[in-house]
Amino acid sequence: MSIIAKSSTRVLIQGITGNAARLHTKNMLEYGTKIVAGVRPGGGGGDVHGVPVYDSVAQATSNHPIDATILFVPPRGTKAAALEALNAGIKTVVMVAEHVPLHDNLEILEEAERKGSLVIGPNTPGLISPPERTKLGFVPSQYFIPGPIGVASRSGTLTYEIVSRLTLNGIGQTTCIGVGGDPVVGTPFPKILQFFEKDSETKAILLIGEIGGTREEEAAEMIRDREIAKPVFVYLVGRTAPEGKRVGHAGALIEGNRGTIESKLASFREAGVPVADTPADVIRIAKQILQS
Amino acid sequence: MRLYEYEAKEIFQKYGVAIPKGQIVESAEDAHRFASQIGGQVVIKPQVLTKKRGKAGMIRFASNPDEAFRESQSLLGIIYKDEKVSALLIEEKVETAIEFYVGITIDYSFLKPVAITSPFGGLDIEEVAREKPAMVKKVRFSISEGPTEKDLEEQVSIFKPNERLFMKEVSKKLYQIFRQYDAEMVEINPLALSKQGKAVALDAFLNIDDDSLFRHSDLIRPRGKSKEEFEFEQFLKEMKWKYIEMDGDIGILSSGAGITMAILDLISMRGGKTANFLDTAQMDAEGIYKAFSLFSGNTNLKVLLVNIFAGLNRCDDLAMGIKRYLREYPLRIPVVVRMIGYREEEGKNILREINIEAIRSLEEAVEKVIKLSKREG
Repeated sequence: MSIIAKSSTRVLIQGITGNAARLHTKNMLEYGTKIVAGVRPGGGGGDVHGVPVYDSVAQATSNHPIDATILFVPPRGTKAAALEALNAGIKTVVMVAEHVPLHDNLEILEEAERKGSLVIGPNTPGLISPPERTKLGFVPSQYFIPGPIGVASRSGTLTYEIVSRLTLNGIGQTTCIGVGGDPVVGTPFPKILQFFEKDSETKAILLIGEIGGTREEEAAEMIRDREIAKPVFVYLVGRTAPEGKRVGHAGALIEGNRGTIESKLASFREAGVPVADTPADVIRIAKQILQS
Repeated sequence: MRLYEYEAKEIFQKYGVAIPKGQIVESAEDAHRFASQIGGQVVIKPQVLTKKRGKAGMIRFASNPDEAFRESQSLLGIIYKDEKVSALLIEEKVETAIEFYVGITIDYSFLKPVAITSPFGGLDIEEVAREKPAMVKKVRFSISEGPTEKDLEEQVSIFKPNERLFMKEVSKKLYQIFRQYDAEMVEINPLALSKQGKAVALDAFLNIDDDSLFRHSDLIRPRGKSKEEFEFEQFLKEMKWKYIEMDGDIGILSSGAGITMAILDLISMRGGKTANFLDTAQMDAEGIYKAFSLFSGNTNLKVLLVNIFAGLNRCDDLAMGIKRYLREYPLRIPVVVRMIGYREEEGKNILREINIEAIRSLEEAVEKVIKLSKREG
């Protein structure tokens, strides 16, 4: 078992004819993702790596049952593409674009809530479930192996850095999900914790967090209140980031006393959650948890 | 992007929110001239982007044109929190009966806009919320539909009955501004009820989401930055690079926000000091070649750390970019390359041609960089 991305998940690629989308469609197909259709607005017909291309999401869904869509669409086009997918009744929408306007993002998430759909991202490399050989997005699959750890991260490149070390140490993963680097994302840490809690194969959960926002604190409160019974461990970055400056992720901005490293460390301490301060420390804690 | 008070006020006025009569001036002579036109008392407000000007003693009052001249002269040119005061807003002083607070921002936990109102305006709203929580009303509402009549009723329920109607009106207008300008935050503090019974925005705050600026390109301008700084900022935006300067001596060239923060942490935990870092969203041979140029002119630098984790890109491709740059523009400082991932051996061989021995372990690379940064000379 894994979460969200399963071997049975039937996938649509919106914007499939773009260069990046073509490349990653190929990578996903090779890994094992069941891509059933693609969309190029107003320019359907033909195929990309054997995947049929349609004019619209509605046309794709009337020809294929679709469980999830990945938006390889520029930030300005993300709102229209996401609403189109939600209106067609697709239950999982992965938005990879960075720099999606904040209000567009809020509108998409509001509509997803109404429709009972799940949005991953924006500003995410997507997610990968090694036991299911399925990835939704552009996570480089060579660093991931099946195993007992569920991973959720606000950063793509840091996930590869950490997970490749887990893999080298023989510690595999159920699902690794990039929740997105923006302050507004569809599946923040608290929601992902619930998914992993329900997944029978996930034995422990790693959160890769950073400064900014209050999602780490909210996750810590859930653990403190025993809503999450599985062992959780955390790697936190941004300890030395200059205040008031956007270090990288829009979500990593520190304003006033909101989202500081101190507040996050204190919350996890109170919840009894081990926090790693270096990549090597993450591996040490992972081994400790799996041995106990 | 934060707007100046006078820019925000122009927008507020366009949407039907009353503002005091005022004029933007850049000299004490103009301040004098405008103060005489108004007659009576005037308020002199430096146009800077930092909040809490009042607390810093930056807002002055003058009861005649000569005083306005003197106060303006003492404010113009001063540096407040790295910002030079180059313009002042001269306004008529509104005789106020009461001051309220009204603002709309985003509740990042609930992922919805939240309207905030309080009968205690003119103060720090966070302080009011701490001390008199019942006197600050927060109502979340739908972004696509805006506040409903019921939301608005709840919003104004903490006000006196005779104040509710105009508070509702102002809230509605503020919502229009919030949506139209893709605001992260829009705020009137204080909203004054004048002795004539009119609601006037004495201050105006509007912060536009940077990712929406393509919809508001008419508002993009340097705002206190020099021409060079502004052009550099636009260049970074175009390249999709995030570049920050600090006060140490180690440069970092990396790809991805999370790993860049992790490297900053590692460096500081081991006693090193970062001078500047560049986070390129994506790297290829051409990108890394251009990125190097940001580090070539910095005289504080003692060493540069390049971090490459090739997941979707290729080590050999990036090594080619580094080789090309360093052959054309040799750096006077040592370059340490941490490289791991796809086509790693090929990449290492290319770097050996320019006498760089790439390191596989991030921690080892950080150690080496710190050691080099502490060398004398």
